[in-house]
Amino acid sequence: MLKPILLVEDNPKDLELTLLALEKSNLANDVITVRDGAEALDYLFRRGNYRDRPDGNPAVVLLDLKLPKVDGIEVLEQLKADSRLRPVPVVMLTTSREEQDLVRSYALGVNAYVVKPVAFQEFIEAIQDLGIFWAVLNEPPPGSYKPERKR
Amino acid sequence: MLNGREASGKGAEFESDWKDCEREPIHRPGSIQPHGVLLTLEPSSGRILQASENLDQLGSISATAALGRPLSEVLAAEVAETLQAELAAKLPAEPTPSSAQAGPANANRGAANPQRRPVFLGTFTLPSAEAPAAGSYQAIAHRTAGAVVLEFESITGESSGRSAVDLQTLVDAFILEVEAVNTVDALSRVACDTIRRMTGFDRVLIYRFDEDGNGTVVGEAGSGRLPSYLDHRFPASDIPAQARELYRINPLRIIPDAQYRPVPVFPAENPATGKPLDMSFSTLRSVSPVHVEYMRNMETAASMSVSVLRGGELWGLISCHHQEPRTVPFPLRQACDLCARVFALRLSSLEHVDEYAHRIRVRSAFSRLLNEMTDRGDFAPALAANRRDLLALTGSQGAALLTAEGCYLVGETPAEDQVRELAQWLYTSVDEDLFVTDRLPSLFPPSDAYKDSACGVIAAAISKIHASYVLWFRPEVIRTIRWGGDPRKPHADAERAGESGESGESGESGDRRVPARLHPRRSFATWRETVRDRAPGWTASELEGAAELRNAIVGTVLRKAEELAALNAELLHSNKELEAFSYSVSHDLRAPLRHIVGYAEMLRDDSADVLSERGRRCLETIIESSQYAGRLVDKLLNYSRLGRSQLQCGEVDLNQLVAEVRQELMREAEGREIVWEVAELPRVSADLMLLRVAVQNLLSNAVKYTRERPLARIEVGYRECPSELEFWVKDNGVGFDMAYADKLFGVFQRLHRWEDYEGTGIGLANVRRVIERHGGRTWAEGQEEQGASFYFSLPKAAPTPAP
Repeated sequence: MLKPILLVEDNPKDLELTLLALEKSNLANDVITVRDGAEALDYLFRRGNYRDRPDGNPAVVLLDLKLPKVDGIEVLEQLKADSRLRPVPVVMLTTSREEQDLVRSYALGVNAYVVKPVAFQEFIEAIQDLGIFWAVLNEPPPGSYKPERKR
Repeated sequence: MLNGREASGKGAEFESDWKDCEREPIHRPGSIQPHGVLLTLEPSSGRILQASENLDQLGSISATAALGRPLSEVLAAEVAETLQAELAAKLPAEPTPSSAQAGPANANRGAANPQRRPVFLGTFTLPSAEAPAAGSYQAIAHRTAGAVVLEFESITGESSGRSAVDLQTLVDAFILEVEAVNTVDALSRVACDTIRRMTGFDRVLIYRFDEDGNGTVVGEAGSGRLPSYLDHRFPASDIPAQARELYRINPLRIIPDAQYRPVPVFPAENPATGKPLDMSFSTLRSVSPVHVEYMRNMETAASMSVSVLRGGELWGLISCHHQEPRTVPFPLRQACDLCARVFALRLSSLEHVDEYAHRIRVRSAFSRLLNEMTDRGDFAPALAANRRDLLALTGSQGAALLTAEGCYLVGETPAEDQVRELAQWLYTSVDEDLFVTDRLPSLFPPSDAYKDSACGVIAAAISKIHASYVLWFRPEVIRTIRWGGDPRKPHADAERAGESGESGESGESGDRRVPARLHPRRSFATWRETVRDRAPGWTASELEGAAELRNAIVGTVLRKAEELAALNAELLHSNKELEAFSYSVSHDLRAPLRHIVGYAEMLRDDSADVLSERGRRCLETIIESSQYAGRLVDKLLNYSRLGRSQLQCGEVDLNQLVAEVRQELMREAEGREIVWEVAELPRVSADLMLLRVAVQNLLSNAVKYTRERPLARIEVGYRECPSELEFWVKDNGVGFDMAYADKLFGVFQRLHRWEDYEGTGIGLANVRRVIERHGGRTWAEGQEEQGASFYFSLPKAAPTPAP
């Protein structure tokens, strides 16, 4: 069983488009979506609604920078501060080009940083690159199936 | 000097001897002039403590025999009685212990020091009216430490007979005349004439001291029997400091006969104090032998001087000379003293009037300058525009205003580079806020080249951080000074002077230690000295004006700095806001654009087959336009980042930069024929990342706008200007209409149709922003279809980061 991808995105349109892009990238992983930073932390630390989720870290976290409740940088911070979660690759997915976000994210140990391009095709390509990269790294077993879209 | 020389002259080579002279205790000579007799009395008992050795000329008793006796046993009984009565009536009370011990330095002119002021006791015929050798004596008394000094001054000669009424008439007339004069010159003339009429001296001079103690004769009246010294100068050493001090405290000094032989006072020490008698206020005090020689060298037999004091300081002397010996009775001397005081009062008021008028002029010039400065904000151009007032403030012929922004020259000044060099020297060598000189070449030799405009300088330093100055200039004025004899030769033949004059001094007491070889100069014939490398001196009020203006400027500069700091804080604040704004633009504007593109593409991918041809075209346009809008947002953010990021300057090799950018561009322009003419470019100090943006934009424009040319030609070159390097990129492309030259560098400015040339129109705005942040300029030249030239400059000095 492949580890799932955790997608943290509050904007429903971005969420839909990102899921579409992931779908087009033919990843075998499940995609877990959460809509704010607090929910993301609940998932990662297995608390609240996610208290009973199966053990195990996601293959990769796709983390929007601007999130309700707890913002992406803080999610990143808490994730990287936890010894069990630290190995999980995190990709910042964001609209912002502002350099201070970039610098802060890298300082906190982010693994990749993607500015969502306006041209959607580029976006799909970027997501695909990322997805394939992390999926390969996690060595999916042979004969893996195309994942269903999940929310 | 004429009347004052109580110690010998000074030559540079005789500095130490001259110092000895300054130490000569001239107020304690231990002897008197022979035209009278001196006694000191024990204040309470009236018994004689000391007597001059010529006492026997008043009777039969010798000095030694008189000691310890009352006056009545030495003089005729009725004379002694009258004297005792007069002393009791006229002599001021015993001084308090503190003032009794006060030396001459603490004493003041008679009026301010009434206990020591000599009083006139009357005229007596001594030894008695019946004696065949009897003479007329005026008795004068004053107090000194531990004794009453009683002097009998012999009076003879023509001047003795003037009545009190005559004197009052003369003094009255003098006061009337003095009230009418309006200049110091006229006042001096009137004073000389009056004193000469009153005393009958052959020559009367007004002798004025400068701040160094040199004297100049500023007024003269004479019989013609003695040479004129009007406008002549005498060195300070002619009247050494202790002699000037004695003139200050005792306004009258008389020598009736320079050929006299001093008469010692016996015993030399006052038995009551154990000290030599202080003769500061004594009429008969014997003067320094050097002074007597000085008088003889000047061929004057008699002299009298009356001090002119202003505010307690010695301003000058009224100095009288006669070819033959001459006495001046006490009442006449008093009248002369009165005239001197009237003279001093009028002098003060005349000089005050002058000074007041000058101050008003300076004050109004100052306030006009101040207004101008306040109006304009920037002091240098404001002052430069007000040339007349700026120069009037200090009575200068030229001025320069030097700031970090520029150099303004006003009136007669050295050239700008010379002014800058001078300011640099001031900056490195002078600490004072206000530097003042009337002889710049002696302090700063390079200024010799321009002393005809700047020999005298006032430099007001405005900043501690850089060489910022207000400078005022005065040209060299070559002056001729007429000296009363060559002041460099104070010691004419020692041998001859020694044999002719010194014999009488040989028996003097041990306090007299005048070096034997010191003698005054023998010739007082006019000696002309030419003074060069000197500008007219600056007056106190001129310096005050300069100092006040400096304060005002420093005040406005400080205020400006505060305003700048406030502005800076405001800028920082709005910069933060701008950052926040671009962040939200980036985030909020880009997201919906991305969504439009994303959903439109999704629609195209999923439903292209159900759309009409027109529907599909609409969809493509939606996608294209949204993508373009996204690019505009990106460019705008990029542009604002160019303005905000910190400049990180280092050495940039422009050859390498141009080569790299060119290589990139040529990759995209494959198949085109472009001739590059790139000159050998210099290294500059710049932020490589930013400069690359500028170069990239300029070169890509050149490539883009030449693409219709079968043979494109692009030239990159530069030239060196005084303060900056000027670069250009020229092409033979489509060019532009010069009417739009200024618009070219604006944000999103485009001069071409979309179909012809793509682009957002922000490239040149980026170039301008980058170059301006480096402290340079950008401009363009062109003509439609004739190619374009784009220029930018970089300052030679490292750029200062601009906000």
